[in-house]
Amino acid sequence: MKLLLLLLPLACAAQVTPAAIGNSPNADWLTYNGDYASTRHSSLHQITPANAKDLVAKWVYRLDGAKRLQVSPIVYDGLMYISNTNEMVALDARNGRQIWHYRAKGAEGARVNRGLAILGDKVYFATADCHLIALNRRTGGPIFDVPYSSFAAGYTTSIGQRGFVASLHPDTGKETWRFWTVPGKGEPGSDTWGNFPAEMGGAPTWTTGSYDPALNTIYWPTGNPWPDFYGGRRPGDNLYSDCVLALDADTGKLKWHFQFTPHDVWDWDANESLVLLDSTYRGKPRKLLVQANRNGFYYILDRVTGEFLHAQPFVSKLDWTTGLDDKGRPKVVPEKIPTPAGTKVCPSVRGASNWMSPAYNPATGLFYVVTLEQCDIIVASAKEPVPASGFRGTGNEGIPTEPGKFYLRALDVLTGNKKWEYPMPGPGVMWAGTVSTAGGVIFSGDDDGNLVALDAKTGKDLWHFSMGRSLFASPVTYMIEGKQYVSIAAESDIFTFGLFTPPTH
Amino acid sequence: MRRLWLLALVIGLAHAQPSIEAGRELYMGACSGCHGATGEGSQGPSLLSGRAGRLSHQTIATIIRKGVTGSSMPDFPLLPAPSVANIATFVRSLTAPAISAQLPGDPARGRALFFGDGKCSTCHMLLGQGGHPGPDLSNIGAERSVHQLRESLRKPSARLEEGYRSATAVLPDGSTLRGVARNYNNYSVQILDATGRLHLLERRNLKSLEIAESSMMPPVANPEDLLAFLAKQSTRPPPQQ
Repeated sequence: MKLLLLLLPLACAAQVTPAAIGNSPNADWLTYNGDYASTRHSSLHQITPANAKDLVAKWVYRLDGAKRLQVSPIVYDGLMYISNTNEMVALDARNGRQIWHYRAKGAEGARVNRGLAILGDKVYFATADCHLIALNRRTGGPIFDVPYSSFAAGYTTSIGQRGFVASLHPDTGKETWRFWTVPGKGEPGSDTWGNFPAEMGGAPTWTTGSYDPALNTIYWPTGNPWPDFYGGRRPGDNLYSDCVLALDADTGKLKWHFQFTPHDVWDWDANESLVLLDSTYRGKPRKLLVQANRNGFYYILDRVTGEFLHAQPFVSKLDWTTGLDDKGRPKVVPEKIPTPAGTKVCPSVRGASNWMSPAYNPATGLFYVVTLEQCDIIVASAKEPVPASGFRGTGNEGIPTEPGKFYLRALDVLTGNKKWEYPMPGPGVMWAGTVSTAGGVIFSGDDDGNLVALDAKTGKDLWHFSMGRSLFASPVTYMIEGKQYVSIAAESDIFTFGLFTPPTH
Repeated sequence: MRRLWLLALVIGLAHAQPSIEAGRELYMGACSGCHGATGEGSQGPSLLSGRAGRLSHQTIATIIRKGVTGSSMPDFPLLPAPSVANIATFVRSLTAPAISAQLPGDPARGRALFFGDGKCSTCHMLLGQGGHPGPDLSNIGAERSVHQLRESLRKPSARLEEGYRSATAVLPDGSTLRGVARNYNNYSVQILDATGRLHLLERRNLKSLEIAESSMMPPVANPEDLLAFLAKQSTRPPPQQ
């Protein structure tokens, strides 16, 4: 009996509980965006504007064969987990030494992997051929490997011809519910497509959602309708493309939805982070949901009801609409609907922002988001869409004389007003995001391969380190044995930084 | 219509599936003298190695037909193409994943041994069932050939997998920690103990560290039933034959 008592606390400590995930990020970083609310704001405060100049590289881990890591590492109990296409590794997070490496032998497909999940004693990732794999988090041994969609039918993690959100049981991978983002014939919303078949509608769910445990609601963003640039065959709003969906976590039942870009013909996926916060808004305590959308507007919604509260442009290059009505519906400029001859539209297809993660710091009240000032020429054609043909309704091209410019912008979270901005000159290839810390430092990748540290209040440049790589991932921060670290994936490598400490011997 | 059917039959015959058994017969006559009766190699190189396993059917067929210049591997220019294909198919089967092999052992007896008297599950795991220190075997039938599995069972130390060396560390408080070193260098060591706990240690803090050169696993004298059981272990259904 005594032995049992001694063993129990150890066994409990080894389990990652939903409550622990609710308290992340602290020393650990337990979800893609750090917390359920997708704020990417850590309570760690060892690194401050005063000492950020003392940051040094601590270690670099190279994942052999990786070309473009887009993972947001998960850190728990001293271990860091990294995923890439059809593989995952666990590292000693203090020094980058590999503990195990799992390759999903026989997995097909080569699509990029953007992250993983942790719960109990397991870590989870999805393969490019749509299997969910659960591994023992300490040994890397497989627990299950189950398909949740059909690679042969054209689905890959995380897109397909018809989007869905599915709930899979963490012990078995067995599906408990599924919500299709394009309604089937006769279902609510199916009348927003004309006769276009639901099986081709798109609206993929290719980034991670947010979760409010108190409301038991999952908020999931959806992508654009298909074909991207030609809407002639799909008359109507094309629900639930370019939406935020509020789904009951137990049943997958739709509580409400809000569509940012009805009848999208510009490829403006709404898959950007959905950040949840509680605040007094116009004199009333409110549960809010905010998003800096690819279409150029920063939105504030009531996340209990889905009510549209406010929107404001966060880029200056925006010409497709004359503004939004009081329900948040855009008034589209007819000349900005793409034509066969080509139409100049701002923002660009890449969008005013995209899946590079923003961060929100409740202490400064600022929302930090990487933005792109750019326009594109979009060409549309009336060709009959053929699924899985690569057809997008024709396409887009950049304007050579007007290259895109990236900025990290700090917006007042309750108005969208810009407080400061940090220009990020470079070749225009970055997809890196941000992390916020209670120490008052914002970390971000930039367009020139640097990890930069900025003062959260003022945007003052505190420190940078050039990794000599292009960046396609967002940084995370964690603490082990009293030392705060910051990590970011850069092409084939994970770079990790911390404050300089003199050698102990 | 009839002519079309005949044509289809002729094409079908011309593309008859190469046979492992027909290949084995030809191999025993023409190849075993140098490569050994089971492909283990003697004057000629082993056909069971990882390198041999990476050769495509086409590459093997070309080597058989044209030989290897500068080596004692002769050419067989007069060997009919179907015979070359049969031999190549047999050679490929030597390194094929164990899950595709027909084996004489009894997998049910192998399973009973694995989780029972054989005590394999003390150290090895199958889909979360078993112990920690040894390599996880959940997908071993899809990852290893019969030859590799048999060798691992009979001579565990012949090819030691890195990450599973037994390690004994004396900690700063004088207590001893035993487990396997999942990784180590001059500065740190990551030890997984028998309870599945990971110990992430700085070597400069340790009083001593010993890392074994041989496997902890005892050899299995008669491995056929275990082999038949392990050959079936795969996290995904085997590819259609």
